[in-house]
Amino acid sequence: MATVQLSEAEKVYVLHGIRDDLRVDGRSCEDYRHMEIETDVVSNTDGSAKVTLGHTAVLVGVKAELGKPRPAAPEEGYLEFFVDCSANATPEFEGRGGEELGMELTNTLYRVFNNKRSVDLGSLCISPGEHCWLLYVDVLLLQCDGNLYDAISIAIKAALFNTKIPKVLISEGEEGGTEIELSDDPYDCVRLSVDNVPCIVTLCKVGHRHVVDATLQEKACTVASLIMAVTPAGTCTCTRKVGRGSLDPESIFEMTEAGKRVGKALHGPLMSLLLQEETLGKKRQKVGFLG
Amino acid sequence: MPTDTKRVRGPEVSQSLSRFVCKPETTLPSDGTRTDGRSRDQVDVRPVFVRCGLVSQAKGSAYIEAGNTKLICCVYGPKETERKDETDMKCGRLFADMRFAPFSCPERGSWIQGSHEKDLSLMVLESLQPAVCLHKYPRSQIDINVMVLENNGSALAHAITCASLALADAGIEMYDLVLGCSIRQDGASYLIDPTFLEESGSCWGSGENQGSLTVSFLPSLNQISGLQSDGEMGEGTLTAGVRTCIEGCYKLYPVIQQALVKAVRGAAPPPSES
Repeated sequence: MATVQLSEAEKVYVLHGIRDDLRVDGRSCEDYRHMEIETDVVSNTDGSAKVTLGHTAVLVGVKAELGKPRPAAPEEGYLEFFVDCSANATPEFEGRGGEELGMELTNTLYRVFNNKRSVDLGSLCISPGEHCWLLYVDVLLLQCDGNLYDAISIAIKAALFNTKIPKVLISEGEEGGTEIELSDDPYDCVRLSVDNVPCIVTLCKVGHRHVVDATLQEKACTVASLIMAVTPAGTCTCTRKVGRGSLDPESIFEMTEAGKRVGKALHGPLMSLLLQEETLGKKRQKVGFLG
Repeated sequence: MPTDTKRVRGPEVSQSLSRFVCKPETTLPSDGTRTDGRSRDQVDVRPVFVRCGLVSQAKGSAYIEAGNTKLICCVYGPKETERKDETDMKCGRLFADMRFAPFSCPERGSWIQGSHEKDLSLMVLESLQPAVCLHKYPRSQIDINVMVLENNGSALAHAITCASLALADAGIEMYDLVLGCSIRQDGASYLIDPTFLEESGSCWGSGENQGSLTVSFLPSLNQISGLQSDGEMGEGTLTAGVRTCIEGCYKLYPVIQQALVKAVRGAAPPPSES
């Protein structure tokens, strides 16, 4: 992860502030930074979203392709994730530098979605054992200012909400081969239900307290962090401890409770915002990358 | 895409036989006993066999066997680090690498390290880093190599235990031993130290609270150095699962300590007769 170097005095300053529930930019320990979400920014994709969280910017594109289902699950489609840490974000990511971080983020995303309820994979099946929809979710990091997991998960949720999968009809052609027909109407499509898609909350332990949505400076003072993927119902699909330090079991219990609270509170406003953006329809003024 | 040009692989279209065998009942039986005689909802870890000092060339090594899960770990170092940047001047570096032998799982794996193995290696590294006194080894690196010879469940948890034992055998200074324990949550009951069949994804039912959890724990300091969970669980279930794993680690602690004492006594010179 891109890091900043902090002197001991600066670390003590940040620590004392957090102890009194006052962070460097004035937020309290469980507040997020200013977040901007926009969907449908890339026209070549089936669904896309751009999320800016403070100075962290993430772009997600979802493309749907026809493929063969996995042998272990013939009645389901599947999702493939890939996170690309672009060299735009920081010079450390040039060449293969960002590969390690990208792999870590990708593996975590696979784990977050590795359960039967987050995305209804059965709805992605067209004909069992033969054809299914394969959703390629590609994440691009444009700017890196801490809290990548949260921004990426919110962007994925928004992009999946925005995804329009064309309706497909598979029929038996002549000589027994299968024929694939796409409907002519470009607006005739299937939408995915994102009601159970989890959002990731990263809690960083600084001193004796934990903070949500840490900036790079706060990250430099962190001993260890806990990443939790929380669904709107309050269940956790994936938790993971990251960092070089160890945590007390009591702190972990406190952090999971806080993470559940914060995660649950995140979904309501996010869904209402996405629905609101949807109702604006074609008249919506697209801001894109210039805003 | 990385290809392996040094080894001859089977034909591209080969498939494992297990796909064609009539599958037995894939959901776990919900009554009290498990297939190997242990019971549900009790901290019933498999008996463990550990031995240190197997690999003579390595600085330290350890072998662990729990049921049919067999792992070996070798530690090399501290040796001079190749990459030199500012942080190395103050403390050392740990490198962990966890691999599965291709014949270790029911379906043949590949020799090339896949993303799952890289993920597990990262987890082993994160679990061991808090325990090692890295500030005593500036400008050095310590390499940990874990090889899973046979995987019958809980490979990660036992890998962490094996690696910390190998580090202790190598004489690397540590704050405490790190022990790993994993559970599988199946609805309202849990199975500690699951076997491969109990752990595998195809066995997951569609009810609430299905998932697995691995915790690595430092017993004397009461600190958790690694935590990883999968599947979907409520927060209360997660908390209870962590407590259960900690109990499992405490059960394992005396065995590991004894094995270490035995290895040290074996290596020490016999007392002089005068």
